[in-house]
Amino acid sequence: MIFLRFSFLLTLISTTFPALGDPGKSVVRVNSTVQSYSASQPWEKTSPRKRRGLGAVLDNQTVLTTAKMAADAIYLELQSADSSLNIPAQVIAIDYEANLALLGPAGDAGFLSSLKAAEISAPLKQKDELKIVQLEDKGTTQITPGTIRSLELLSTFVSGRYFLSYEVKASVQTEGNSYTLPAFKEGKLAGILTSYDSKEQSCDIISADIIRSFLNDAKDGNYLGFPSLGVGYSSTEDPNFRAWLKLPEDQGGLYISRIIPGGSAAASGIKKDDVLLSIDGFSIDRKGYYDHPDYGPLFWTHLVRGAHQVGEKIPTEVLRDGQKIELTLKLKRSTDRLVPTHLYDQAPPYLIKGGLVFQELSVPYLKAFGKEWANRAPLNLLEVYNNPEAYSENERRRVVILTRVIPTDATIGYERVASQIIKTVNGKVIAGLPELAEALTQTPPNGLHEIDTDDSPYRIYLDQTLADRVDQQFKASGLPSLSRIYPVE
Amino acid sequence: MPLSVRLSIFLFLCSPLAGQFLDTQPAVKTYSVYDSVVRIEVATQTPDYRTPWNTGRFSGGIGTGFLIGKNRFLTNAHVVSDARRVLITQRGSSQKHPARVLHIAHDCDLALLEVENFAPFVQLPFLEFGGMPKLETEVSAVGYPVGGDRLSVTRGVVSRIDFRPYSHSRADSHLVIQIDAAINPGNSGGPVIQNDRVIGVAFQGLTQADNTGYIIPMPVVNRFLKDIEDGKYDHYMDLGLATFPLFNPAMRKAFRLAPEDRGVLVANVVPGTQVDGVIKRGDILVSIDDHDVDSAGNIKVAGEFLDMNEVVERKFAGDQVKLVYLRDGKEMASEVTLKAFEASRIYAMKYEELPRYSVYAGLVFQPLDFNLFGFYKFDDVNVRRLYDAYVSEGGFQKRKDIVILTRVESDQLTTFMSGFAGMVVDQVDGRKITNLSQIHEIFRAEDPPEFHVITFIGASRPLILPSAKAKEAHPRIMKQVGISREAQLD
Repeated sequence: MIFLRFSFLLTLISTTFPALGDPGKSVVRVNSTVQSYSASQPWEKTSPRKRRGLGAVLDNQTVLTTAKMAADAIYLELQSADSSLNIPAQVIAIDYEANLALLGPAGDAGFLSSLKAAEISAPLKQKDELKIVQLEDKGTTQITPGTIRSLELLSTFVSGRYFLSYEVKASVQTEGNSYTLPAFKEGKLAGILTSYDSKEQSCDIISADIIRSFLNDAKDGNYLGFPSLGVGYSSTEDPNFRAWLKLPEDQGGLYISRIIPGGSAAASGIKKDDVLLSIDGFSIDRKGYYDHPDYGPLFWTHLVRGAHQVGEKIPTEVLRDGQKIELTLKLKRSTDRLVPTHLYDQAPPYLIKGGLVFQELSVPYLKAFGKEWANRAPLNLLEVYNNPEAYSENERRRVVILTRVIPTDATIGYERVASQIIKTVNGKVIAGLPELAEALTQTPPNGLHEIDTDDSPYRIYLDQTLADRVDQQFKASGLPSLSRIYPVE
Repeated sequence: MPLSVRLSIFLFLCSPLAGQFLDTQPAVKTYSVYDSVVRIEVATQTPDYRTPWNTGRFSGGIGTGFLIGKNRFLTNAHVVSDARRVLITQRGSSQKHPARVLHIAHDCDLALLEVENFAPFVQLPFLEFGGMPKLETEVSAVGYPVGGDRLSVTRGVVSRIDFRPYSHSRADSHLVIQIDAAINPGNSGGPVIQNDRVIGVAFQGLTQADNTGYIIPMPVVNRFLKDIEDGKYDHYMDLGLATFPLFNPAMRKAFRLAPEDRGVLVANVVPGTQVDGVIKRGDILVSIDDHDVDSAGNIKVAGEFLDMNEVVERKFAGDQVKLVYLRDGKEMASEVTLKAFEASRIYAMKYEELPRYSVYAGLVFQPLDFNLFGFYKFDDVNVRRLYDAYVSEGGFQKRKDIVILTRVESDQLTTFMSGFAGMVVDQVDGRKITNLSQIHEIFRAEDPPEFHVITFIGASRPLILPSAKAKEAHPRIMKQVGISREAQLD
């Protein structure tokens, strides 16, 4: 019923162009097959899924699409508008946080060389109109016009990272199973649609600004990614809090509650309890917004993650003990986290020893506990996620957990042990899986590995000979590999 | 963490008090044991932890009790919990006799009542106690369940004897008898009889299974009656140990145990209990009161296979327990004196107690316990972690109360403070908050600082309370919200 209703609407507001028309000439189909690893059995992959979307053809036979299309892809192909021609593709650059991926042909450019490369549009503003492009089965281009309602910072793929996007009022009927669609303004690429709300008839489109930064970064073949300030912060709306901070009424500012070690803020001399007043000359208000000359009020993070690139130096002002201090921000990438937020295109590391399964704690692992993971996942693991600094002692890079116990001859009596944090093995501090693997290759004095954990029984013993024998049985029974360990960089 | 409660207690539903016929009494009446089974009518008042200053909810219900001695009526604790008024009615009578609770034991769901005037009951026989019934034998549950006003008798067969959770306190497990008769709301507190002797007290059922009733067996009843002999109820004792089975061959090798050697591994010692400082993590407990402990922590008593904790289960505060354990391969022995352990009650439902709280300038502070968790869904990891570690990691020694800012009442002063609700208070004005009275007093001290600085565990900024404004706002908010009393500290 809903489908019918939208078709009807589209006949009213959409116009159909022949495939030759502009901007359809710069659009290709992107077909991907994605497959991720099982969070609980990381030696296995889950069943593959297919994704279909569109991409915009750019210079040098490259194609821009969303990271969502390419993340965890085991096969990527580019297809002509009428689906008659296709070529395998590869990823040139991908940014999971910004939700952008640049693809290129994996071999011969084929039909791609006959398509017209689109230019990137100049920045768009509120009320600007753009055209969302879709391809019909027969290859004709379908265009849905839309108007930018507002410019917002949105997180469209990896949660918690916000990028300048357009909220566009448009009535889109999807032709594929994805809303990855390019949008154009006057024949130039203006953005890529990431999601559509049919009820509100509104869509989120990654802005031309972010696309331009992404492409600039990717140009030299060494994609770095967007910078990050590396702070925890809080608004200063509460007048009582402002009085205590000695913040004048006419000033905004964000209270800095946490400095992430190794981040831009830490490297630039920003301290906890500072009040961030301005970045790059733009004053930040008490809620964290600044006034962009063209876009209106925007959240401050765009001043770091969007408006500038890694390596740039920009001025900033902070209030410290009632004194205004000028500092220079040296923009860096966000630092590697103790608990990685995503593991796209990475096979998760693991180690099986005698039936004990060890993994590194990550957000995807926590999310495997279901939609309610923030309440359902084991409390000790959630605490690490919430409070990583407390677990970063002893140069720990990753938190290694004994995720589960497979019943074997070596694990009799340990069947109910699960989700325990590994502290030491044979007396060696475990800073990550490579260290664990190394510790387990040592021959312990009495032939028993000693594994110290954070929960009952706090020390597990594993018979080395027996565990090795069990490992051989696992291999014989078809387990592809007993470990996947990446060397420490 | 709180047990997921699969059992549900019989809520003794309010039933209308229909008029009853008075039998014409014969000149000489012989009383049966059924006559000593009485109907208990209770009016209750249950506090609301969201508005702890209010009177709470008035409610009531019906249960059963029975005469076990001179002016001693036994019933379930849950029948008379939070009672404001208790009335007892005899079988075949409509007269209500005011009664009061003498002793109440929430951990084993038993209570002892007495009536103000025992004269009308003097001729009734006392019910005699039996022992443990055998499996597959028939028993009768007697009481005043829903579906009528008169005495009801239901027959069933003993289908299982097991160690099960007692849902009334939400935190205790003891021996129970399962029968295949559907005992219903109102049956609670009634005797279950075999060969004219009481073999237990009907107390709970299962929500998802028909024809399943649970009975408190006589060992639990007898323990309760013995415990109160000194005039007060001391609660069940707990050894204060967590064990881990010693099945793993590598583990046994590490502890140099032969396959036939007895003993279970001590995985955790609860700080502050009688075994703290005696037993250590990594010890192997080999015997308890001269009963050999096997590698899973079980013992054999008179041919019966039991969890070693049952030795302690049958003891009282002040009793001794003899423990033999291996430390570094050496056998050691100690005698510990059991003592009540208050801290573990944080996980048990509280009754008859007024909720503790302190309000200042629209900020409502309450100590975390099982009851509070029932009213607020705390999803803050720090709250849950502190609750979890309160006993097992000795959290109670550092923080007697886990003080939570539960509510922020609306006022111009508190507009931007609501985000702190549901978090644990760490410090106020630089002082670590370890109990409710402390935070209450800090805000009421003479010469306060210009700003009270309240820090919370896991918050991104402190809550700032300007003391002059707060002092001014306090009575205003109390009046506005209708808070009759600013604190209940104990």
